[in-house]
Amino acid sequence: MGTGLKYAYYPGCVSQHMTKETNETTRKVAAKLGIELHDMPKASCCGAGLLTDYDYPLYLAINARIFAEAEAMGMDILTICSTCLMVMSTANRDLKADPKLLAETNEVLAKSGLKYSGKVNVKQLLWVLAADYGLENLKKQVVKPLSWLKAAPFYGCHSLRPSDALGFDDPEKPWSLDAAIEALGAEPVQYRGKTKCCGFQVDIVAEKTAEKMTGKRLLEGKERGANCFVTPCPFCHINLDNYQGLAEKALDTKIGMPVFHFSQLVGLALGMTPQELGLSRHLVSPEKIIR
Amino acid sequence: MKIQFRIRRYNPNDRNAPEPYYQAYTVEVALGMTVLEALLKISEEQDSTLSFRKSCRSAICGSCAMTVNGFSRLACNLQVLPEFQKMGGMTIEPLANHRAVKDLVVDMTPFWNKMEKVNPFLMPTEKTASNAVSAEDEELIDQSQKCIMCACCNAECNALEIDERFVAPAALAKAWRFVGDVREGHGVKRLERLSEEHGMWDCVRCVHCTQYCPKGVAPLKQIERLRSAAMKAGILDNPGAKHVEAMAESVEKFGRLDEAAMTFKTLGFLKSLGKIPLGIRMELHGKMPHPYIVPQIEGIEEVREIYREAAAREKEKKKE
Amino acid sequence: MRAAIEAARSGLDVAVVSKIYPVRSHSVAAQGGINAALKAADSWEAHMFDTVKGSDYLGDQDAIEVMCREAPSDILELERMGAVFSRDSEGNIAQRPFGGAGYPRTCYLADRTGHGMLHVMYEQLVKHGVFIYDEWHVLRLIVEDGSARGVIALELDTGKLHRLHSKSVVIATGGYGRVYRTTTNALSSTGDGMGLALDAGVPLMDMEFVQFHPTVLPRTGILMTEGARGEGGFLVNSKGERFMEKYAPKVKELASRDVVSRAEQTEIEEGRGVDGCVLLDLRHLGAEKIKTRLSQIRGLAIDFAGVDPVTTPVPVKPGSHYSMGGIAVDKDCQTAVPGLFAAGESACVSVHGANRLGGNSLLETIVFGRRAGVSAAEYCKATEAKPFPDSALREACHSVAMILKRDAGESIFALKSAMNDAMEDFCGIFRNKERLAKGYGKIRELQERYKKAALGDRSDYFNNELLHYLELGQMLDISECILLGAMNREESRGSHFRTDFPKRDDVNWLRHTLVHKEGGEFRLGYRDVSVTKFKPEERKY
Repeated sequence: MGTGLKYAYYPGCVSQHMTKETNETTRKVAAKLGIELHDMPKASCCGAGLLTDYDYPLYLAINARIFAEAEAMGMDILTICSTCLMVMSTANRDLKADPKLLAETNEVLAKSGLKYSGKVNVKQLLWVLAADYGLENLKKQVVKPLSWLKAAPFYGCHSLRPSDALGFDDPEKPWSLDAAIEALGAEPVQYRGKTKCCGFQVDIVAEKTAEKMTGKRLLEGKERGANCFVTPCPFCHINLDNYQGLAEKALDTKIGMPVFHFSQLVGLALGMTPQELGLSRHLVSPEKIIR
Repeated sequence: MKIQFRIRRYNPNDRNAPEPYYQAYTVEVALGMTVLEALLKISEEQDSTLSFRKSCRSAICGSCAMTVNGFSRLACNLQVLPEFQKMGGMTIEPLANHRAVKDLVVDMTPFWNKMEKVNPFLMPTEKTASNAVSAEDEELIDQSQKCIMCACCNAECNALEIDERFVAPAALAKAWRFVGDVREGHGVKRLERLSEEHGMWDCVRCVHCTQYCPKGVAPLKQIERLRSAAMKAGILDNPGAKHVEAMAESVEKFGRLDEAAMTFKTLGFLKSLGKIPLGIRMELHGKMPHPYIVPQIEGIEEVREIYREAAAREKEKKKE
Repeated sequence: MRAAIEAARSGLDVAVVSKIYPVRSHSVAAQGGINAALKAADSWEAHMFDTVKGSDYLGDQDAIEVMCREAPSDILELERMGAVFSRDSEGNIAQRPFGGAGYPRTCYLADRTGHGMLHVMYEQLVKHGVFIYDEWHVLRLIVEDGSARGVIALELDTGKLHRLHSKSVVIATGGYGRVYRTTTNALSSTGDGMGLALDAGVPLMDMEFVQFHPTVLPRTGILMTEGARGEGGFLVNSKGERFMEKYAPKVKELASRDVVSRAEQTEIEEGRGVDGCVLLDLRHLGAEKIKTRLSQIRGLAIDFAGVDPVTTPVPVKPGSHYSMGGIAVDKDCQTAVPGLFAAGESACVSVHGANRLGGNSLLETIVFGRRAGVSAAEYCKATEAKPFPDSALREACHSVAMILKRDAGESIFALKSAMNDAMEDFCGIFRNKERLAKGYGKIRELQERYKKAALGDRSDYFNNELLHYLELGQMLDISECILLGAMNREESRGSHFRTDFPKRDDVNWLRHTLVHKEGGEFRLGYRDVSVTKFKPEERKY
């Protein structure tokens, strides 16, 4: 079943390694929905925000090289990582807005015979399903509506801000993840932290801040009755799931909140098994909420 | 159109209601009315006990920052009708991350203290004082000069929400205003201080500051500039800079992020050992990143060429 | 703040007392720029001539000479402090032409000159360790045996009153635009310092001279800069006529501020307005030009009036903009009371006379702010500290307690609204004997009602209403001074336009008006104008 949708697929470093279940699930989900994902064998890391701190022109050139690959493929980029999304979109915004900057960056790329002309758009899986594919269509594919799930949508920072670079969802009143959760038959839970930060960027640099932040977000959702969290970002996923134990220790409280990457929630509703979704790799087992 | 405003009231002086509560006011809102106008209308016509700060009413003095429907805004340049239509309500609260004094008035003392801590004034040396400022030099500090000290960024800052000692975006943007000034004589010393704990490396990059700055200061951008400047000045002996260095190395080597190496390089051998209990749990779930088994991307030479070129350009810039 | 920096530099213990945090002061809103003759082709004499002529010869030429001579070094000093004025292509400080100036001598910091300067002042206050009593509102200037002893101030946070004992006091509290309904001034521009000085026995000077800006948004009073007309915007009336063709056939919308303001007011008063406004029509410029060249103005119209000039004309009207008058001081900023100094818009040196030129107000704050700091420091060094009268704090506490205690009275907001109406209707752009008399009667009546007004907020913490009550008291006194000056001055000069005396009268009125307050009563007096280099002639552009 073809939809005609095809993308240059950029899972991001973390999804290929530490949270590889998200990458594997996304490939299966896309296949089921008839969305073509084309690999980008040459694509490097986007810099995860850190290269921006290292050297701004270098960061632009590294990202322009990624865009050049997608441009040659004639496709927009699809990522399943919000940080990749934000980092690439910000570089793309700057390059598209400033012809001088684009020209300077292309001078660097020219040394390797590459060129980026500013035609690529960067999207994430959530947006592709919410807009390009359509939630009505997604709803039709659902074989197992997730009616028992009260899911706290955790957008995370980098799928919402800076909105002038991302240009999709509304940073004050985001709808895409809420609407997607509903389309899958689950109930989205409203809570204050849904647009806030998981703390990932300082996991190693200021770990206490990161741990408390993670815990606070999870508790905000739990207090409003959520029985699971859903995030479109593997970094948020790592913090909310892997480091939930550290958060519990930092706040001296038990949380016990299962966390899904968005692709896994879609997979679940499309009838995939916990094995197919790689749920055994989670540190907080979602077993008790899987039916 | 009549619109209901839900306003958080607080008066520790009021013996009958010393705790915060919400009070509703109905306001007839005309086309073009701002939130500040509506608040003035409430205080003049319905309830003169409502306290809030205001002055220029044209988004330049920085007095009237408050939380509107959950986000930090200037009341004076926010139109009521579009905001109400978008958010489906009108809830007004004092700025977050700051202690309320009365109603919508918060204690700004920590804000000013943070500002003063970064020495917010030019400190030229005899040698640097006469450096000519070109239009391009001005451009570098232009955004940071637009700050009106309204505290929207600090109120939105997710790191400050958790760690009240964090220097926070407003003072960091101000710090760049001087570090980035060609006439400044103590830039390196400033960067060293900013690299300490609770300093610029504690920013969680949540992008709230840049998103909610009403003046386009883009504090996160200024933080990135400070961090770059610190690294270029060789201030590398701190977890933040090491983290970035490890990242840059990893991308140059493999084209990818090497998680294990990053932890190790950022924290050093001893501190990394502290991560072992978690590491074992992660290993059991197949989540432990293994060092140096990261496969290289195709065309890694292109990436390395970009690094070489960037380094060459940086060197050239320094010569100038 | 400039005065505080200068005094601190001379090693004195200095504090700034302000009802709002210093970076909030309304200088922050000044966009245009600051004048100084920097180039070889320009001269301070030329700057002086333009200023004297602009003042309609009412400015004191000795003071104007000081300002224009010292301007260049003060600009350089601002740069040394950290300001970065916009540069020209050669890297020199850029200067642009401004109304009424014979040479492009206005320096600027993009479109936020006042903001840039004010923040540099804040930076220097921090650098010099000047203590800031922020959100402390001064209730009284304490003068005993003919010299200043300090102030009594209300700490807004807690509602506590404090005595601040000092050898000298510098007033720099800005203008009083808020006595009018339509004003470009901040909500905090209530002329407090002028009222305080008046109560302390210092006369106010030339209060009848109020500058009106022609393109102000109704309700909010936000300024639409002259750029909108400079780029080719039209002013039209309810019939869709470009009425400036009638009043200034040659330059039309680009005529000087007072001419455009009077034309608009005529249209409105003769029934060709739209809801009390005229329309600023930019639509013919096209969306592209509006979005690129006038993006800031478009943003203001959308944010503050809810109107997009690309599709809809923007309603505008004249609004009060600047107070030429103020606390009478000499060129060293000395008032009639030893130890008491004043500078900036709250003072009247006078450098602006009957009409201020664009770019001279920021300049005045910097030059005379510095001079006030020097004068105050010299005074402090030459004088022994004298005691602060014991009873002063007790009396002030008592009077505040009485205000808070008063039951069942009129709302201060109703009184303020009535004051705004009276000033706007009877003491606005067009004045005559009859209108002014009505306005005066109204203000006298409001003065009586004010004494019986009661507050709804009785709490200590951050009592906005109490602050506004105190401000209103000052504004009523100021309104009375403006009206007295305007009624008395039977001529038209600069911003003061009498329909019953439409000509300038140098024989009788080339002199400053003084208003004293003694025992609660106002008394008029006069002071000669200093004429040194330039003899009065007709003001024509």
